[in-house]
Amino acid sequence: MTADMSVAIGSMKLRGPVLAASGTFGYGTEVPLLERRALGAMVSKGIFLRPREGTAPPRIAETPSGMLNAIGLQGPGADALVRDYAPQWAEWDFPVLVNINGESASEYAEVTSRLDGVPGVAGFEINISCPNVEQGGMFFGNDPRAAAAVTEVVRKRTKLPVWVKLTPMVSDIGVIARAVESAGADALCAINTFVGMSIDLNAYRPRLSFRTGGLSGPAIRPLAVHLAHQAARSVRIPVIGIGGIARAEDALEFLVAGCTAVQVGTATFINPKAIAEVHDGIASFLEARAFKSLADLPRYLPRD
Amino acid sequence: MLDAPVTGKRQVARGMFVIGMRAPEIASAVRAGQFVNLGWSGGPLLRRPFSVYRAEGEHIEVVLKAVGGGTGQMLALEVGDRLSCLGPLGRGFEFGGGAREAVLVSGGLGVAPMLLAARDARAAGMKVTWVHGARTAAELCAEKDGDAVIWATDDGSQGTPGTAVAAAPDADVVIACGPNRMLAAAAERWPEAQVAVETYMGCGTGVCLGCAVPLKRGGYDRACKEGPVYRAADVDWGALPSHLPYAVVA
Repeated sequence: MTADMSVAIGSMKLRGPVLAASGTFGYGTEVPLLERRALGAMVSKGIFLRPREGTAPPRIAETPSGMLNAIGLQGPGADALVRDYAPQWAEWDFPVLVNINGESASEYAEVTSRLDGVPGVAGFEINISCPNVEQGGMFFGNDPRAAAAVTEVVRKRTKLPVWVKLTPMVSDIGVIARAVESAGADALCAINTFVGMSIDLNAYRPRLSFRTGGLSGPAIRPLAVHLAHQAARSVRIPVIGIGGIARAEDALEFLVAGCTAVQVGTATFINPKAIAEVHDGIASFLEARAFKSLADLPRYLPRD
Repeated sequence: MLDAPVTGKRQVARGMFVIGMRAPEIASAVRAGQFVNLGWSGGPLLRRPFSVYRAEGEHIEVVLKAVGGGTGQMLALEVGDRLSCLGPLGRGFEFGGGAREAVLVSGGLGVAPMLLAARDARAAGMKVTWVHGARTAAELCAEKDGDAVIWATDDGSQGTPGTAVAAAPDADVVIACGPNRMLAAAAERWPEAQVAVETYMGCGTGVCLGCAVPLKRGGYDRACKEGPVYRAADVDWGALPSHLPYAVVA
């Protein structure tokens, strides 16, 4: 018996619950086909309206069970994405959502308009949680009014699914979650990286040129499970869990804790087959326990 | 990605070791300057990039120094232990163009891609001059492959006193690898040299953008995809840190 692994994120039906997290799968074109077979969906590298160079190196530093990154949302801009990548996405058998960014609410709106209706673009993940840009990003994500305002302007520009990727750097993620739900988000992605810093004891300065970076990897998993759970019990829309998932058991923790789907990120850097292995592992878990579908998985989700 | 059993280990200089592994698909495909990204059970979170030092039959070798926890663990591996091996990755050296002579200039661990470079240069019909430098005689890699061989040490304990770059002759094709500071000096002398840079690296497959190399024309590209081999004059050396605690070069 093969368990039914399909999930619905709002109106969007996905063949599986394991998604590629933004910034860890490029534009999908870098990854061999073999590794895409189990993808529920892909969220592309974060894009701004215009090209961005990104931060100076060093951009990454390994820390215990984790990594700090400050890439600075290097990217070719919306026009290049439409020209070079979207046509390929249109041919694929899973949806691609674009992680969108702006230094102002109006820039988020402009990016949305530029991409809305482009074949290959199946939806949007609003990034109000990137810790590695001087303006925009996390600034919007830790103020419920700003978070709602950005969500609202994007919502007005598209009928496609709009997800909002939340930052963990808040005192109460439920407040932000409810604010963006009210502003029209179809789903929440919880969470983006934590802000961290690591010092080079030979140079007496931070190891990253940007000073701080976003911490990802297994180091943040229990923090992420908690925050995704808090978000899930605060809203009625689906929550997509993110944070340190490398194995099926990790993903199942998020799913039991109330998430509808998960995104795998840093693990892909180490194991290009991570998404396929997590997907297959979840299926095996369900089958071993005689669940007919992922929907039958027991959830721990007391409502606030 | 394949599981490569460790087949042997030998010392080639003070603190510098060669580890061999069985990796048939990589051994047959690898070109000089390309690298593998290695991980192992119980190892650090991220893989570690290594230039392929030698490829013969079904086996490849990499060079390393025990400088961090990760490389220390690697050196503790025994024959039969498995390395998860991703590669060959990156863009290697080019030996087309019909030049008659190649000079291979390496400093310290920069020797890593040079045995394959000598092989590929000869296959392209070139005569090979091997130039290798280190701080002291004890730190020179004992293994070499050149029709002519030049040694250089900072302290003058073997060969020409001074740097490998200073000791090297000119040639139509110059290949260089070593600390980025050394490569910056190579770029001054040979703007057209092909150099393999060192960077921190995340995925090694082009998706994380962690291994950014600053370019003279502005912006960055990826050591793991567009690199690790660059035309020396194309890199903005002042903006490229020279730092690697663990690797060779990637």
